[in-house]
Amino acid sequence: MLTRRLIPTLLLRQGRLVKGVRYGEHRDAGNPPSITRAHAAQDADEVLLVDIDASREGRAPDFIAFAKVAEECTMPLTLGGGLTSFDIAQKAMHTGADKLAFCAPALDTPALLDTVARRFGAQAVVLGLDVTQDESGTYALYDYRTGGIVADRTPVAWVKEAVDRGAGEIRLMAVHREGTRAGFDLELYRTIADAVSVPIILEGGAGTLDHLDAAMAAGVEALGLGTMLVFSDNNIVKLRQYLLGCGHVLRR
Amino acid sequence: MSDLIIVDYGAGNIASVKQAVWRAGWDADLSRGPEDLLQADRILLPGVGAAGTAMDRLRAGGYVEALNEAVRKRGAPMLCICVGMQLLAEELHEYGVHQGLGWVAGKVTRLEEKPGRRVPHMGWNKVHKPAGGAAPPPGILDRDTFYYFAHSYEMSGLDPAVIAGEAEYEGLVPAAIRTETVFATQFHPEKSQVEGEKLIAHFMRWKV
Repeated sequence: MLTRRLIPTLLLRQGRLVKGVRYGEHRDAGNPPSITRAHAAQDADEVLLVDIDASREGRAPDFIAFAKVAEECTMPLTLGGGLTSFDIAQKAMHTGADKLAFCAPALDTPALLDTVARRFGAQAVVLGLDVTQDESGTYALYDYRTGGIVADRTPVAWVKEAVDRGAGEIRLMAVHREGTRAGFDLELYRTIADAVSVPIILEGGAGTLDHLDAAMAAGVEALGLGTMLVFSDNNIVKLRQYLLGCGHVLRR
Repeated sequence: MSDLIIVDYGAGNIASVKQAVWRAGWDADLSRGPEDLLQADRILLPGVGAAGTAMDRLRAGGYVEALNEAVRKRGAPMLCICVGMQLLAEELHEYGVHQGLGWVAGKVTRLEEKPGRRVPHMGWNKVHKPAGGAAPPPGILDRDTFYYFAHSYEMSGLDPAVIAGEAEYEGLVPAAIRTETVFATQFHPEKSQVEGEKLIAHFMRWKV
């Protein structure tokens, strides 16, 4: 039986890891290869590493940091941030990525998803789906490059298009919950999970062990974890033991 | 000459594979051309992406004849990973129908979506040896083991006698096959941490 996944999400800025709240207020979160080695030693199911400044600064991602993390990552590695062209995507694959996460830039050039899926397979294409709530509480796409809402597409329309084009997995970030420790947005998960049939990694809001249990009980197959692993005394071993005790199916 | 030659035909996750072989305790070299396979003690055929495209690249690189010579005639052990395994089939149904190596009877077809079965099949799944299937190299799958899967297509119509491992995902998915000196995995030993390294070590010690 396929097991549920716990996936540390690492955010890269100027060669260091950082973590913040709602895509701002970033604090230092350690050295990328050392943190990756620790997650590997604790049997994290995968790792996601995103260069959070590359697209905003209009440059390629930090391939040097990517390579250092790839060398330590004995489990699957997803690389993201600044993947704005096929050549950059291909270089990230050759740097040691097993999967690539395409975030806001894919909104401008959706055909990139087709090209990369055709070359590396749908299983290598992850759509980074950033969703927030507008003033009325309606879900809306969020563009971290501008810090604003994307008005011309709904999250459901965009996720369906991206999967049609070749995305094989969704990294669903509830931006309004990110770093808040207020719990996962399970209603958002259900909305997206009903729209597409590819696997979904839900992230944003994990603060307590109960939040993880509730998400898995609601059927979420993979959880992305940032703040909870960075700014608390939790670690993957402890989380896994707790969730196994709740009766969820995880790797052991 | 190193212990293992990785077939470098432009459709593989070469960096991960080479690193995992090194962690397992051996050195691997990338093939510079088909002639490198003729001398190789052992061969590793990686693969990601669409099987048809991968097959075209393997053929264009001149590797098909060299694999036949080295593995089927000379009997060099070969480990095939993911799309590398799928290339062994007769027919590959992905972006059209393509001809595979045809070393095992069967086809590569899209995994069926079902309630509780999202596709791609993505993550860690437990692999068991089916009763009456093929024997994996000694030491591999002596007990049920978790390995990492990431695929949307599967081998179908296989002779049960070649299936060396299966995984349960709302139905059984062929996870490993063995035929003659070929051992092939649908999962990724190179990304399966300690268990993957052990599998590679057992393959490297396999006396055929």
